[in-house]
Amino acid sequence: MVSLIHFLNILLPLLYFFSFLIYFYDFMRDEKKFINVKRIFLFLTLLIHVIYVIVRIIKFDHPPITNVFEIFTIISFAIGFSYFILELVTDIRGTGPFIIIISFIFQLISSLFIQDLLEVKDVLRSSLLGAHVISALLGYAGFTISAVYGFLYLVLYKDIKLNKFGLIFNRLPNLEVLERLSLYSAVIGFISLTIAIVIGVIWLPSAFPDFSYLDPKLIGTSLVWILYAIGIASKVLIRWRGRKLVLLSITGFVVSILSTFLSNFLARSFHSFY
Amino acid sequence: MNLIAVSINHRTAPVDLREAVFLSEDEIRAVTKKAKEELFKEGLVLSTCNRTEIFGIPANSELSHLNIKGLITDVKPLKQISDEYFENFISRDAVKHLFSIVSGIDSMLIGDNQIFKQIKKSFQIAEEMGFVGFLMKRIFDSAIKTGKRAISETKISDGAVTVSYAAVQLIEKIFFNLSKKSALVIGAGETSEIAAKHLNDKNIGKLTITNRTFEKAEKLAGKINASVLNFSDFKNSLHNYDIIISATSAPGILLSKEDIKSSMKKRISKPMVLMDIALPRDVDPETKKIESVFYHDIDSLKIIVEQNLAIRKAEIPKVEKIIEEELYSFYEWYNSLQAAPTIKGLREMFESIRAEEVEKNINKFSVEDREKLEIVTKRIINKILHHPTAELKKTDETEYSGAARFGIIRSLFGIDSTKEEK
Repeated sequence: MVSLIHFLNILLPLLYFFSFLIYFYDFMRDEKKFINVKRIFLFLTLLIHVIYVIVRIIKFDHPPITNVFEIFTIISFAIGFSYFILELVTDIRGTGPFIIIISFIFQLISSLFIQDLLEVKDVLRSSLLGAHVISALLGYAGFTISAVYGFLYLVLYKDIKLNKFGLIFNRLPNLEVLERLSLYSAVIGFISLTIAIVIGVIWLPSAFPDFSYLDPKLIGTSLVWILYAIGIASKVLIRWRGRKLVLLSITGFVVSILSTFLSNFLARSFHSFY
Repeated sequence: MNLIAVSINHRTAPVDLREAVFLSEDEIRAVTKKAKEELFKEGLVLSTCNRTEIFGIPANSELSHLNIKGLITDVKPLKQISDEYFENFISRDAVKHLFSIVSGIDSMLIGDNQIFKQIKKSFQIAEEMGFVGFLMKRIFDSAIKTGKRAISETKISDGAVTVSYAAVQLIEKIFFNLSKKSALVIGAGETSEIAAKHLNDKNIGKLTITNRTFEKAEKLAGKINASVLNFSDFKNSLHNYDIIISATSAPGILLSKEDIKSSMKKRISKPMVLMDIALPRDVDPETKKIESVFYHDIDSLKIIVEQNLAIRKAEIPKVEKIIEEELYSFYEWYNSLQAAPTIKGLREMFESIRAEEVEKNINKFSVEDREKLEIVTKRIINKILHHPTAELKKTDETEYSGAARFGIIRSLFGIDSTKEEK
């Protein structure tokens, strides 16, 4: 079983990379024959990813959420799966390569550094911790997708303003759709992160004796949460839209990346388990 | 096949001449009547602003292109129409020419699919007047199939190739659902009308017209079911519109940067599209610097038009390939309008029915009777087909009536459709 895990660990980044290539080729060429091929390939990639995660859980007796590289593979899947559902529901296909490349990057980093951990702390086998981590991951996946759509919005916005009617103009959906996709992804991400924070604040102090409200990850996450709360409130209350809104989403994403980086690699935190 | 075509089109004649020979529906009917009585067994008369064409199967072998040109010049007696303005096509070239027209590669605006509807209309007139026989029907069906394939399998009709339509294409790249948007068209001239119609076709939520002469604005608004705004105070209402298209003949700037800036303050970062398709321009180009304002003038829209035309031109080889395939398919059918292939097709069809029925019922017969069943059923088929076979062998293949006879037999027994199904 371990050899299967190792094989899938090498295979997955390759599959995401090929999915990206097919989506990218289709983006460049816009040939009708690729419409279904790319979707089927992404589906198979996600299916193999599910198998990989299940096999890992069975073999190592814990969900793959105990360290940052295990979490990266889940983020990679969450982003790819969210995009797959989004494509199925909205039938907007021109944005695939920009999302799948993110899945590929997360999976590649995970595959390079992930370890076969047989011994983990008991607290990491808790179902409440599972709910906390999974909702936080869904939140970050939502913010990532929101930022990608926000970025695409800015590129298309600039192209239209400057009369550049090239590939981006021809292939991407319109600005209003990009803005909505960015907003909806951010709202879903925000709700998920709120759940993660609520679970964390209620349960984690009892599970971790060295719990502190000054924990770097907690501060970083709160900052991200506040930024998205401001963005969503400005949309609802002041009726902000367009460029201002997507800029807020991108800022939120950058802060969340910085927060993850600082709390996982530089600062010591009760969130570090390895 | 001796199909003849005579064409006066955008490649052969200047616009004033094309306009002069343009035939109205009544004139098409008059020409069709004369063509049927004097020159052709069957045919088609087509006339648009860019081409007037006559296709037909000659009633006698002496018919020349000059006789056909005479049909047009009789109705439109113009001194300056000489032979050099006409193109002549015979046989395969004539069929190919019709396929090229339908697929849009022979249009002045490459890929213009208006021609598709115009040919359908012309065919309808020809059919009503009894000018369509088995051959023209088949040519028309193949032409329509070619046109549909060109549209669905290539990008020959993709994208906007006129400035006013490019404006709408650009608007659709900014807004998702035009039925929830409001638009203001400034001006009531031809360009404004075309732009307003395009917006209407896209189900714009609210369409308003304003013009210096109120009556003209009212007249245009009546045509396209829009509301009218007083020109004297339209600047105070700019913030109510997501899309503003300006196409007036005003000599100077109508909307300044300040006008747009103050209306944008009221819109709270809601995007606004300004399409200035007037010459000289109506809107200050500096407005493009305002956030969430998308300002475009004729020059920027022409970029889209030129890009789309380049894409369409690049698709011509693919369309030509489709035309060749459909020509091959058409001639395969046409060459089957002879005695030997028709008899063969007829026999194969009867034999397949016989074999199918025998196979279905074979178990109802004893083993020793099965061979007799084969012999008896084959004998029945042979007897049924004996007389038709003899009659078909007597038919003159070189005559139009002979080809028509084979065509009817094939159509009656569904020989070609059975082949296609297989």
